[in-house]
Amino acid sequence: MLSPGAWEDRRSLQTRLLVLRIAAVAAFAVLLVSFWLLQVVQNARYEALADNNYLRTIPLPAPRGLVFDRDHRVLVENRDSFTVTLVREQTASLERTIQLLSRVTGVDESAIRDVIQRHRRDPVFRPIPIIEHATLAQVVAVRARRYEMPEIVVQTVPTRHYLHGIGAHLYGYVGEIQDSQIDRPDYAGVEAGAIVGQTGVEKAYNASLMGDDGRRNVVVNSVGREIQELGLVPPVDGGRLQLTLDYDLQRALEDAFRQSGFAGAGIFISPATGEILAATSLPAFDPNDFAVGINPARWAELNRDPQKPLENRLIRGRYSPGSTFKIVMAIAGLSEGLVTPDTTVNCQGGATFYNRFYQCHKRTGHGVVDLRRAIEQSCNVYFYTLASKLSIDAIHKYARWLGLVGPTGVDLPGENDSFVASSEWKLRTTGQPWYPGETISVAIGQGPVSVTPIGLATMIATVANGGTLVTPHVLRAVDEDGTGWRMADAPSPRSALLIRPEHLQAVRDGLWLAVNGSAGTAQRLRIQGKDVVGKTGTAQVISLEGRRAAEGRTARDLRDHGWLVFFAPRDNPQIAGVVFGEHAEHGYLTAPIVRHVLDTFFAKQEGRPLPALPAPPASVQGGLPGTAPGAR
Amino acid sequence: MIVERRLSAHLDWPLIAAVVLLTLIGLATIYSVTWDFRNDQPGPRFWAQVYALPVGLAALVACLAIDYRTLTQRSLLIYGGLLLALVYVLYFGAVRGGARRWIALGGWTLQPSEFARLALALVLAMFYGESRRRARSAGELAVGALLLAGPAYLIYKQPDLGTAATLAPVFVGVIYVAGLRFRWLAAALVLVVLASPVIWRYGLAPYQRERVVTFLDPSKDPRGAGHQQIQAKVTVGSGGLFGKGFLRGTQGSYGFLPVATNDFVYSVLAEEHGFLGVLVTLALFLFVIVRSLEAAKLAKDRVGAFLVVAIISGFFFQVVYNITMSAGLAPVKGLTLPLMSYGGSSLVATLAGFGLILNVRMRRFTN
Repeated sequence: MLSPGAWEDRRSLQTRLLVLRIAAVAAFAVLLVSFWLLQVVQNARYEALADNNYLRTIPLPAPRGLVFDRDHRVLVENRDSFTVTLVREQTASLERTIQLLSRVTGVDESAIRDVIQRHRRDPVFRPIPIIEHATLAQVVAVRARRYEMPEIVVQTVPTRHYLHGIGAHLYGYVGEIQDSQIDRPDYAGVEAGAIVGQTGVEKAYNASLMGDDGRRNVVVNSVGREIQELGLVPPVDGGRLQLTLDYDLQRALEDAFRQSGFAGAGIFISPATGEILAATSLPAFDPNDFAVGINPARWAELNRDPQKPLENRLIRGRYSPGSTFKIVMAIAGLSEGLVTPDTTVNCQGGATFYNRFYQCHKRTGHGVVDLRRAIEQSCNVYFYTLASKLSIDAIHKYARWLGLVGPTGVDLPGENDSFVASSEWKLRTTGQPWYPGETISVAIGQGPVSVTPIGLATMIATVANGGTLVTPHVLRAVDEDGTGWRMADAPSPRSALLIRPEHLQAVRDGLWLAVNGSAGTAQRLRIQGKDVVGKTGTAQVISLEGRRAAEGRTARDLRDHGWLVFFAPRDNPQIAGVVFGEHAEHGYLTAPIVRHVLDTFFAKQEGRPLPALPAPPASVQGGLPGTAPGAR
Repeated sequence: MIVERRLSAHLDWPLIAAVVLLTLIGLATIYSVTWDFRNDQPGPRFWAQVYALPVGLAALVACLAIDYRTLTQRSLLIYGGLLLALVYVLYFGAVRGGARRWIALGGWTLQPSEFARLALALVLAMFYGESRRRARSAGELAVGALLLAGPAYLIYKQPDLGTAATLAPVFVGVIYVAGLRFRWLAAALVLVVLASPVIWRYGLAPYQRERVVTFLDPSKDPRGAGHQQIQAKVTVGSGGLFGKGFLRGTQGSYGFLPVATNDFVYSVLAEEHGFLGVLVTLALFLFVIVRSLEAAKLAKDRVGAFLVVAIISGFFFQVVYNITMSAGLAPVKGLTLPLMSYGGSSLVATLAGFGLILNVRMRRFTN
């Protein structure tokens, strides 16, 4: 039995136990509410944080589409580039690995150490890229020792590869997408770090060429090691492109152009369709340098180069057309009825218009010349006379019809406009009216006239096809998804000028005489048995007076630029084009380039073996002293 | 049978069931945390815990079989043995992670500090229960405080502030039910508040101070202790109502939540089984505590009642603190969750403690 004191004790104990019990229930109730708030009320927030911890998406870059020429020869492909990597986790002795790797690959120990030092905070199991774009010899040497060095792993990365060392400015190059591009609609869906076309075809048709990158969704643990693969979306190759280019002609053009030593541009197009068969701008760069991520030194060098190898002269360079503009003048004069093919002018080495004496390039004069002879001999006086009757706006109108106003619309990015003055332009920019005297120098392609080589090519193509202003283009067909080629829609012609047949024939005859006549200025274009027609032109870099003043005071090359425009054959033109030689002084000096390409074109057409590049004639000396454009 | 048939009839089977269930839930959580995704098998820690279970159950039965009064009468001896073991650990113990806490026994290690609560509970129950002292005078309180201070100091020196701290509730629980006057309680509270700046300055190591600061603002140390606290919240919060599912947790298994098998085992449980899992386990823990308090109420003498309260107070404190911490709501402290956390000594000592509680209830009618 319990004593009364014990009873009292017991009652006090019972009360205190009850208090403890209530305290326990209260504490657990608080805990339960806390967990409710965390797990149910704030669940979404913490779930996102947890997912962010362990889910990773690893991109699998899709190879860009291949690019072919019109005969399905591969021009641009993808190659696996090799990266020699080191997995530190698997090294027995990092020191030994560095020494051995250095000995085997010939890379400096200190360079290897630098790379490892830069990546020292990476997880140890992540491969460190020691040698990017390793040579085959290095890869073979490393692989031969794979049992000695299991920690060295060679990875392959698909990389753009441009074959044959040609077509740099046409293909353009690829590079990581820039901040300024990423928000633009044409790059929709492209993520930071993606490789996109930056110039040329690579840029123009980037959307087709880019595949759909694949991705691997993986689970990683707290140190970043992959634990599990949750899903795999394989990459889809980019669409394939067929260009209008003919590899043989392109090769011939670039080989001959490089041999000439000139900087400049050249283009050969099909006059009926505007298809570009071959085109170049020199000097050029090596797009393969960009494919592997251009190194800053090379980039700086390309940008500093006074020859401007990154500039695509074909579509961006603007120069005075010189005497090639006389073709525009002839068509304008004939069509406006101011001259007939038989209208003659007596050239005495110069003439006075509006109280100013204008020289002909032949001081002794050409004598009495009609339109054909004037074109053949490039008589300035004939066209000065014509210009004195034509308004600048009429010239502007015909120039537009012949493709010398505005862009040609070629499917390459960055094209500059060609320009021919008009009275409206003069009034708008200077507030002054156009003075008829200014028209005189326009007649010989000087003054406020500047054209791109590709613009001039559309002019000569229009003369060749009888008046249709075609749009030059490089895309022939597309195979978007490997299901088959679909011909690209050829861009429609921009305008059609009705030239009376007898007028057209007269201009063509004049151009034929320039090449094939006894007094022609472009005789070096002559090919036996082929009615090649053409015209030379000289673009003044500086006026005669200026040149005399600058004599010996500047290192800049002040020699004039040389033009050649041409098509062949005369009566059924199949190929037309322009070659522009920077500081070539005379257009005819670039004739060997044109001839080699045309020889190749005809040989191919007739099934003959392709001609070898003839040895350079000793008399040809072009380019800047001490420079060898295109040497590679 | 070691226990007489007459006695076993009074065994508290519901309490045993709840304790075993919690232990099994703990095992399953450790199984999930240690799961090796490469080899599709649980890790070595799981098996170590599995092997500790029969040892713990044996300890429970042993503590059940011997009359608790026999144990309290020898409590000074047990207490002395414990002090010796703790001193031994301080000088010869095995070192892990910078702390000297273990005695190596062949392939096993023993953590004497985990048994300190039991020894203290026994000696305090004896001191306040047997002698009819009522913890009303300063002298009576001082003796109890000294009994607490001995092992607490030795454990604190290991250093293991967390485990040392779990001894305090054992003492507080006993003196409270032993009739501690309200004014003493108030005085103690005032003293703690007044002493806290001193403790802050001299009683805590710099890393411990940092932990408290970090708790108040986890972003100050997002990679260290703050990281644990943030990740604990993420772990628990991402569980949702129903949880991610067994073996489907991402925070513990992938290593984003440190010490997931020990101190943060409950976070993983909350992650995998969600709020419902939390509800069930909290209910089980509360049941265990309330049921034990009932054993105290039914105890035939003060010694038994005080013994139960001493043991369950320590348990209660540890459970509430650990679960609060596992949700990132308390400063990170090396403190295990009884019955569930990885750790053989902790499991064995906890099960032994429940053996004593069952012991008191079972023998409520004997003389």
